[in-house]
Amino acid sequence: MFDTVAEGDELPVRELFLAKDMVRAYARAANQMAPRFTDDAGARQEGLPGMITPGNMSMGLLTAAIEAWAGTGALRRLGTTFRGLVLPDRTIRMCGTVTEKDDTAHTVELDVWLENEDAERLVIGTATVALG
Amino acid sequence: MPLDIDPALLGREFDHTTYGPVASDELIAFARALGETRPEYVEPGPTLVGHPTFCVRYKGHKFYPENIPKSINVRTGLDAGKDIAFGVPIRPGDTIDIRSTLHEVYEKTGRSGSMYFVVIRFTMTNQRGEMVAVVDNRFMHRG
Repeated sequence: MFDTVAEGDELPVRELFLAKDMVRAYARAANQMAPRFTDDAGARQEGLPGMITPGNMSMGLLTAAIEAWAGTGALRRLGTTFRGLVLPDRTIRMCGTVTEKDDTAHTVELDVWLENEDAERLVIGTATVALG
Repeated sequence: MPLDIDPALLGREFDHTTYGPVASDELIAFARALGETRPEYVEPGPTLVGHPTFCVRYKGHKFYPENIPKSINVRTGLDAGKDIAFGVPIRPGDTIDIRSTLHEVYEKTGRSGSMYFVVIRFTMTNQRGEMVAVVDNRFMHRG
């Protein structure tokens, strides 16, 4: 796969309707059962507009998108910045682009991001991926 | 006001926590919650491994070192992001050892004033001493 990838290539965009129940299931599975991640009323008491998605879940969804393209176990490093609130019950998109190739290590650098329906980049990051 | 951090605090371990053994059900529930359907993440058996970000499920018992400056209020920190270097995958039956260090503290000034960033590093290894992940957790505090 490494030889067929070029700088500037875009990863297939993954679109997902992020249901509240999916966020709750993640919060349970990830041991992050804080009100902000499980119910609107609890989140509002913390000054939030409603339930939000854990940043770790956003990282997990970006990882799933990267691995869907590169293969299981290909991810070597992922760095993210949480810039905005990822609100559930909306459609999100996981996107990425190849920024650099390392011919010696057979790895590529990616810019990755999670955006909302208005194309606002709520989570941005970079990743290193090993390609066979 | 600049933070008065004792340089000796940087890199010094302030927490050591062990979790485990990891159960297959935990790995599968985590992967399914991310919408994963690949057999290696959701089917019990010898080939089951944890989704790469399963490691963020773990944290130390102490969030910050005890002797961090009081101007940093632990309860008001916002999760600003993470950097993860991935090692070997987590497998059922593993025990995960987490050593926490204060990795970095820095200040930035933005439109809304000054902010402090505190980076806590979790170094995670399994029972064989293999590196599972190094996770840098970046927390932001208003100055």
